[in-house]
Amino acid sequence: MAIRVNPKLIDELQKYGAEDVSMCYHCGNCSAVCPHSQEPFVFPRRSLRSLQMGLESKLRTSIEPWLCYYCGQCSDQCPRDAEPGETMMSLRRWLISQYDFTGLAKHFYRSWKAELAAVVLVFVLAAAGLVLYGSSVGSIHVYDGPGAFLPSAAIHLFDFALAFALIVFLGVNAARMWWLTMVKDQVKRAPPWLYIKRAYLLPVHFFSQMRYAKCGDTGPWLVHLSVVFGYVTMLVLIMVFLEAMQAGPEIRWSVHGFGYAASAALLFATAMMLRARALKSGPQGHHTHTTDWMFLLLLAVLVATGVLQHAVHRLGYQTAANVVYVVHLSTVITWFSRYPFTKWSHIIYRPLAMYFAEIRREVAGAIPMHGVATMAAAQPREKAA
Amino acid sequence: MRIGVYICQAEAGDPVNHELVASYARNLPEVEVARNLGIRPRLDPHELAKEIRSYHFDRVVVAGDSPGYFKPVFTKAMALAGGNPEEVRLASFREHGAVTANPNVRAESILACATRGVPFPLAAIPDHTPVNPATLVIGAGVAGIQAALEIADAGKKVYLVERQGTIGGHMAMFDKTFPTLDCAACILTPKMVAVGQHESIALMTYCEVQDITGSPGAYKARILKKAKRVDEKACVACHVCAEFCPVRVPSEFDNGIAERRSIYMPFPQAVPNAYLVDEKSCTYVLSDGKKCGACVKKCPKDCIDLDQKDEVVELEVGQIVIATGYDVLDPGRIERYGYGKYPNVLTSLEFERLTNAAGPTGGRIVTKVKKFNKRKKVEEWVFDPEGPQPKSVAIIHCVGSRDRNYNAYCSRVCCMYSLKFAHLVKEKLHGAECYEFYIDLRAFGKGYEEFAERIKAEGTYVVRGRSATVVESGGQLFIKGEDILSDSLVEFPVDMVILAVGLVPSEGVRDLARMLGLSLESDGWFRELNYNGSPTDTERGGVFVAGACQAPKDIPDTVAQASAVAAGVLKSISRGTGLGSLASLSLSEIESRAKNLVASV
Repeated sequence: MAIRVNPKLIDELQKYGAEDVSMCYHCGNCSAVCPHSQEPFVFPRRSLRSLQMGLESKLRTSIEPWLCYYCGQCSDQCPRDAEPGETMMSLRRWLISQYDFTGLAKHFYRSWKAELAAVVLVFVLAAAGLVLYGSSVGSIHVYDGPGAFLPSAAIHLFDFALAFALIVFLGVNAARMWWLTMVKDQVKRAPPWLYIKRAYLLPVHFFSQMRYAKCGDTGPWLVHLSVVFGYVTMLVLIMVFLEAMQAGPEIRWSVHGFGYAASAALLFATAMMLRARALKSGPQGHHTHTTDWMFLLLLAVLVATGVLQHAVHRLGYQTAANVVYVVHLSTVITWFSRYPFTKWSHIIYRPLAMYFAEIRREVAGAIPMHGVATMAAAQPREKAA
Repeated sequence: MRIGVYICQAEAGDPVNHELVASYARNLPEVEVARNLGIRPRLDPHELAKEIRSYHFDRVVVAGDSPGYFKPVFTKAMALAGGNPEEVRLASFREHGAVTANPNVRAESILACATRGVPFPLAAIPDHTPVNPATLVIGAGVAGIQAALEIADAGKKVYLVERQGTIGGHMAMFDKTFPTLDCAACILTPKMVAVGQHESIALMTYCEVQDITGSPGAYKARILKKAKRVDEKACVACHVCAEFCPVRVPSEFDNGIAERRSIYMPFPQAVPNAYLVDEKSCTYVLSDGKKCGACVKKCPKDCIDLDQKDEVVELEVGQIVIATGYDVLDPGRIERYGYGKYPNVLTSLEFERLTNAAGPTGGRIVTKVKKFNKRKKVEEWVFDPEGPQPKSVAIIHCVGSRDRNYNAYCSRVCCMYSLKFAHLVKEKLHGAECYEFYIDLRAFGKGYEEFAERIKAEGTYVVRGRSATVVESGGQLFIKGEDILSDSLVEFPVDMVILAVGLVPSEGVRDLARMLGLSLESDGWFRELNYNGSPTDTERGGVFVAGACQAPKDIPDTVAQASAVAAGVLKSISRGTGLGSLASLSLSEIESRAKNLVASV
């Protein structure tokens, strides 16, 4: 099969944040310092090479960008300032847009105006819908109980609907990821039993993000871990215990205890991440794409309004609580509506990538992920006759 | 004639003020339009052609730091407009030195010449000044030695000033030269001896240039003669003094892999062949004459005077040759290679001494072993001549070179000396493996490519890829990198790692440049007058550059450049006058000369 070359790919990637890919002169330093780079997934140099050569289809089916956690060692030691770390980050953004079947992700990544317009539009529509619904079923002055502005049961139902839509979108994208990385262009396909055998890897990587801890400095991993802990805890509380969460004004420690812990973790981690980006500290802080700002700012608003509406409700200000709740729910809807098209989706792509990578590694018969790769000596190029 | 001037900048950071230059150009005769297009403008030949046609330009001058970059577009535009493409003239600021003393004036004079259609070097020839026939050569490495010998052989007086206690420089430390694998000492020592014995060469070792004043053709140099504390004419190098000297310090000549005494001769073939006292470590000097003095008592010739003081001498010379050479980059800055942390990670110069037949191990390649130093009562890693030999050696190219974090430039010699090392390892260590980690193999000289092929054929493993890290695990060094040709990660256990460190300008060049009013390149090498046309001259009349102080160079190029410098020096001496400084020429003078040149054609 002939390889189709897209010479504009490198320019295209610039819109996703890649900067100096063409500077790379292939010394291989980055691949060798990377703590995650191991046969058969040696990166980031190979990805930079594919980019320079415009091998779009090869990159689209590559899994390597997902194995990188951006510790920045490659960029630090790059003799050419080619920013391999940021290139891998941009490739992840680009891959998200490739997996997305709706094509919306492309627009969000390439234009901050499209991104902002989508956020504002969804937010305004959601707020309007919520206010319309609320005023038709209750009064803005009543927070819970009969005549409530936004009754918990209805919101709970709505959450389920939202979750269902999300799972459909994400599921399709995840299936596309599977097809691109595991089926298309693969010489040897993985047998189904291997998927079952290694299925435990999915929850393991989802909850532990343990590969991130291999990046040397464990600080960013701990921050990330607390985001995921807070986020998942909150998700479970909302999807299962929403009525108990919303009931008040007394505090139910059996539910709210978890909520407080999750909120604290989310607040802490979001603040740390925002701080890193604002001060340009750490490798990831150096380059911030508009979508990264949007991600963190929305998350911050989400958490802040959630905490605020809870506090205001406990203090007995029912009208104010309803107003904040409308803002909070509109943010929730904005947040979830963007899930399949933006950075959000890595919550599913990352663990899938770890899972797929392990399977592909086994299919290729390579040394397992945590083994020591010691190559037999390369052959001398020309032996004396 | 109608002329259009376009100023385009190829790179940011040009010290020339382009707006001022543009307004100057507008006042030049026959210039219709002068436009400043800024940094790397987007140029459309069709648009330009339209403009050229509408103004009826007969000549277009493209000015800027590197206008050659934009020339093709203008040539095309000129052709499209129906003009003569040969009338696209360049005014190259950087090439003609408009980064030095007075950038704007220089840029304007370059532009003035270009609008006249006159090459700048033809119009801007400084006036001749009478020349004192004596010459000062600063630095006595192979470049200084060669230049001094060539000038002195013509019967002219040369003062050869050297900072170290011996002449010879880095070449004296080398074992073999590439690509011929000649013995470096066999080439250099006869020259060194010739310098020492030459009646026209006043050899001043252990001296430093303090100050240089005067003008082209009549410079005054103040030289600090540091006290050697040994009468070098009386000393017969019998070595008795050193035997009794109790102080041991790392030897500079052996790059610290061996020790010398405080009274020492850098190496047995040193010129002048006499001992000297290192005032920084001598017990007698440090205690103000209260302690030690053992060498004075033992000297059979009574030639040691530990109370000798430094002297300052003034020299009057007509011309100055700068041959200050280079230093090697300190690889300790690059942590991932573990230099200074792992004992068997060496720099190239250390290995050069290790493998040298006159070196501390007699040329036996060994790894360092831990030994108890009875005097200091500590364990030390030392090269024991009887020590174990490495079974595998890795050589890492481009250490600190071609790297934006250290030196952006290519140090030019590392590829070849690394290949030479591979040969020496293969020759001296039977059955040892040798790995070369390289990015690009730059074998550019006569016989170099053939040499590289020969080394590969000798069974050296050549890995295309910069090795990333050197780590130790269980007392074994491991070297890790990516072989990008086989697209795989490699990790080899090795006993010794040699870092092919890059070259950096030698210490003190900034002071020297300041004294002489010369400019350095941004990375510290001396800037020549014209890279292509006059690579040995400088902006300052009667000041020449030879060897690695201008840019990293191998031995053949250094010697060739030193001889070229001697030719320049002798030319001025035999004519009796030499060129003054280019900077002394005024803009109006260059303008009128350009005008006269056009008139004379």
